[in-house]
Amino acid sequence: MESLAFKDDISGSVAAAANSLQLIAFSIGEQTYGVEITTVREIRAWNGATPLPNTREFVRGVINLRGTIVPIFDLRARFGEGQTSPTKNHVVVVMSVGEKWVGILVDAVSDILTVAKTDIHNVPEGNSIDTELLNGIVTHESRMVGLIDLHAVVSGAKMDS
Amino acid sequence: MSDLDDFKATYFDECSELLLELEEQFAAIEEGDRSSDRLNAVFRAIHSIKGGGGAFGFQGLVGFAHAYETLLDHVRDGRVELSEPVAALCIRANDIVADFVAAAKDGTELEAGYGAEEKHQFDALTSGDPDMAGEPMEEFDIDFVPVMVTIAGAEDDDVVAEEPLSLAVLDDAFEAPPLALEAGHWIIRFTPHSELYARANDPLLLLRELGTLGDIKVRAVLDEIPALADFEPFGVYCSWEITLSSDTVTEAAIAEVFEFVEGNCDLEITRREAPVAEAALDAQIEAMPSFAELMADVTEPVAAIAEVEAAPTAELLSFADLAESLKPALKAAPPLMPPPLKQAAPAEEFEGENDRRSGAEDRRNGVQSIRVDLDKIDRVVNMVGELVITQSMLTQQMDETLRARYQELVRGLEVLAQTTRGLQDSVMAIRAQPVKTVFSRMPRLVRELATKTGKKIRLETIGENTEIDKTIIEQLSDPLTHMIRNSADHGIESPEKRLAAGKNESGAIRLSAEQAGGNILIAVEDDGGGINRERVLQVARDRGVVGPEQALSDEQIDQLIFAPGFSTASEVSDISGRGVGMDVVLSNIKKIGGSVHVKSWTGKGTRMTLRLPLTLAVLDVMLVKVAGSPYVIPLSSIVETIQCARANFSRMPTGGQVLQVRGEYVQVVDLASRFEMTTEVERDNRFVVLCEAEGGVKVAVIVDDIIGQQQVVIKSLEENFQSIEGIAGGTILGDGNVALIVDVQGLKSATAAHKSAA
Repeated sequence: MESLAFKDDISGSVAAAANSLQLIAFSIGEQTYGVEITTVREIRAWNGATPLPNTREFVRGVINLRGTIVPIFDLRARFGEGQTSPTKNHVVVVMSVGEKWVGILVDAVSDILTVAKTDIHNVPEGNSIDTELLNGIVTHESRMVGLIDLHAVVSGAKMDS
Repeated sequence: MSDLDDFKATYFDECSELLLELEEQFAAIEEGDRSSDRLNAVFRAIHSIKGGGGAFGFQGLVGFAHAYETLLDHVRDGRVELSEPVAALCIRANDIVADFVAAAKDGTELEAGYGAEEKHQFDALTSGDPDMAGEPMEEFDIDFVPVMVTIAGAEDDDVVAEEPLSLAVLDDAFEAPPLALEAGHWIIRFTPHSELYARANDPLLLLRELGTLGDIKVRAVLDEIPALADFEPFGVYCSWEITLSSDTVTEAAIAEVFEFVEGNCDLEITRREAPVAEAALDAQIEAMPSFAELMADVTEPVAAIAEVEAAPTAELLSFADLAESLKPALKAAPPLMPPPLKQAAPAEEFEGENDRRSGAEDRRNGVQSIRVDLDKIDRVVNMVGELVITQSMLTQQMDETLRARYQELVRGLEVLAQTTRGLQDSVMAIRAQPVKTVFSRMPRLVRELATKTGKKIRLETIGENTEIDKTIIEQLSDPLTHMIRNSADHGIESPEKRLAAGKNESGAIRLSAEQAGGNILIAVEDDGGGINRERVLQVARDRGVVGPEQALSDEQIDQLIFAPGFSTASEVSDISGRGVGMDVVLSNIKKIGGSVHVKSWTGKGTRMTLRLPLTLAVLDVMLVKVAGSPYVIPLSSIVETIQCARANFSRMPTGGQVLQVRGEYVQVVDLASRFEMTTEVERDNRFVVLCEAEGGVKVAVIVDDIIGQQQVVIKSLEENFQSIEGIAGGTILGDGNVALIVDVQGLKSATAAHKSAA
C-alpha cells in the first residue's frame, strides 16, 4: 500500500507540473515580467560589461561568465524606454535561449510564481513592441505579469538589422 | 547498434590515416624508391582497409580492394613490374579506394561499375599468373562470414575431415628429403598424453631435437580427431610418426630426447633396415592402436585442469585429488564450446601461436600513440588557457609590499608561472602535427598539373616535419593547393620557353616550412617567369581596383593578385596569368590569423609566403584602451606605434584623414569614432597603432592609450551572440573583464564600405 501511495503522489505532482508553469518574476520600474524558470541559468549582480561597438542601444555589452563571453541585453532599452543606469543593485538574469546563453539586465528579481497554463492570456493587439516581445500575460495577485519572448528580445541586435 | 557504430567510426578514422599513408608511400615510390618496405606498407594499408570493409560488409570496397591487393601482391613478389603505368594505375586505384571508403562512410552508393575499368586492368596484369589468376575471394582471410557450427551432430566426422590441417609447415621446416636411401631408419611413434601438455611440454621442441640427430620426416596422425561435438577442449587427439634417417643414432639417443616426457606419452621406437616406402608408412599408420582408448582415462582429469585454470585462487592440490573432487561438478557443467582446432594439431599450431604472441607483444610495447577525441584535447587547451590567465592575474596582484612580506608566496607564484608555461607548451604539442600531412598530398597534384599543362615540373619539399597546430594544418590544404596550382599553371613556363630563356627544361616548385619565432613560415617558390606586372596593373586599372593615375611600386603590384574581387573572375586569371583562386588563399589564411606575402623576380620566379601562428589558442596582443574600454590588437599585425602629437596627419578633401609615415600615405581609422563612442582623451595624448592588413596594406588605428603586451586566449563572440563588424572576437583579461579583439582587415574594408556608401 505504501508504495502505491508513493506512486500516486508522484503522478499527482507530474500532472501538476504538466499543467502549470513556474516563472521567475523580475521588475523593470513598476512593471513585472517573467520568464520560465527552467531557462534561467544564473542570477548575478550587475558588475559592468564591456560595450560592443556597432550594436543597438539595448545591447549593453559582454561579460565574462566563467570563461565564456555572454552578451547582456538591457530589457528596459529593449522596450524602448531608454537605457537603464545600472547600479550594483541591478541584476543580470542569465538565461539559455536555444544553444546560446544571454544575460538580461533588470532592476530586481522579485519572486518565483507558479501559474496554471490555462491562466495565460494572449497579448492584446496594439503596440507592436508588446506583441513582439511578449508571449502572453498572466495575472498574479491582481498584477499583470508579462511573459518575455526571449528569442524576440535577443534578435535584431546589430545596427543594420 | 551503437557499439558497431563506434567500431565503424574507428574504422573510418583508420581508413583516412591509411589513405594518407598510401599517398606518402606512393609519393616516395614516384621518386624512384622501389624498396620493399614501401610496397609492404602499401600492401598493409590496402589489406587493412579491405579487412575492416569486409567486417562491415562494404562489398564494393572489398571487391575492388581485393583486386588491387592481388596486383600489389604480384608487384611485391616481382611477378608484375612496378613500371610507370602500373604506378599510375595504383595511384588512381588509391583514389577509387578513397571514394569507396567515403561512400561507405556517408552511406551513399557509387554508380554501378565504378572502378570496374581499373579492376579489369588489375586482373589483366595479374592473370598471366596461374596460381593467382583464378583465386577465389572466399579463400581470403578477411571474409568474416559467420559459420554455423552443428554441435549436436553425431555423424559429422566430415566436419573435421574438411579442416585442412596442413603439414607442409612441418615438412618444410625440417626439409625432409624423400624417404629412402640411407641404411639406418628409425620409426618413432610418439603419442603424447594430455599430461604432457599440462606440464608445458611442447612436442615441436621434441621434434626439433629429434631433427638434430638426423634427417627426419614427420607425419601427424589425425585419425583420432573426433567430431566437433565430441571435442574436448583439453583433449589430445594428435600423435606423430617420425622417420629418422641416420646411420649413427642409437635407440638410447632417441629415447633421451623424450626423457623429459617419459610417462606422459606413448613412445614406440622401431628400427627399419630398409627404406620405407610412403605407402608402407601409411599402412603402418592405419594399424596404429586406437587412440580413443588412450584418451578415455585422461579426458576427465584434463577437464579438471580447465577448472583449476578457471579458478586460479584454488590451491594446487595433487592432480588426482583434484580430479576426484571436481568430477561431480564437471558432470553438471554445461556442454563446452567447440574448441579451436589447434587442440588437434598442437605442434603445427604452436609455432604460429608463438609468432602471433610475440607479434602482439611487439605491438603492445610498440604502442606509442593513442587515439583521443579532439574535443577532449580542446577542452584541456581551453582550461590551460584559463589557467594561464589566472596565473598572470595572480602575478599582477602582487605589489611591492606583498612581495617583501610574503617571499614564499612569491616563490610559489614563480614556480606556478613556470609550470603553467610548461603545461601550456605540452598541451600545444599534443595538438601539433607535422606539416607532412598536407605536404604529402602535393606531389601528386604537381604530377597531375604537369600532365595537364604539358610542362615538366619537379617538386621539392623542405622542412616537412615542422609542426603546427592541427586546426591550422586542416586549413592549409586548400590554400597550398591553390598556390601550387598557380605556380604550376602560370609561374612555370613551357619547356620550350624555359630552354629559350636558358633555364633547365623542367621547372622547380619548392614547398618549404620553417618555424620563425612564434610563427610558421610556409613558402611556395617557383623558378618560373615571375608575375607579369604590366598585365596585372592593366587588369587592375581596367577593373577599377587601382585608379588611373595611381602609381604603384612593384611590390604593391605583386600584392594586387590577392586584392578582393581582383582574382575571383575567371577572365582575369586568363588575362593576367595570375590569381586563380588566390582569394581562397587569402581568406583561408586570414581565417586562421595568418598573412600572405608575395615576392616576384621577373624572369626568375615567384615566392609566396604564408605566415601562420604556431597555435590558434593563444594570441600575442597589444592591449589598448578606447573610450574607457579595453581592446586588443594582434601583435602580428602591428608594424609600429606613434604618439599622435608626433604623427604627421593630413586632411583629405572629403574631411577624412591620412597619415604620412615613411613616405607612405596611410588610411586613418579612429577607433572611437569608428565604434561610435565618445572619448575624453585629448587628441595629442592618443596613439597611432600602425597595422598591416593582408596584402601589405597599412592602416593607422587611433586609440586612446596603449597599456601593454600580453598573451590572450581567443573567445568566440558568436558562441552566445553574433559576429560584429571590425571585431574578430573577444578575450578575457587578467581582471576578469572582457576585451574585444580588433579585426584590422575587417576594420579597413568596412571603413572603405562606409566611405563608398557615403
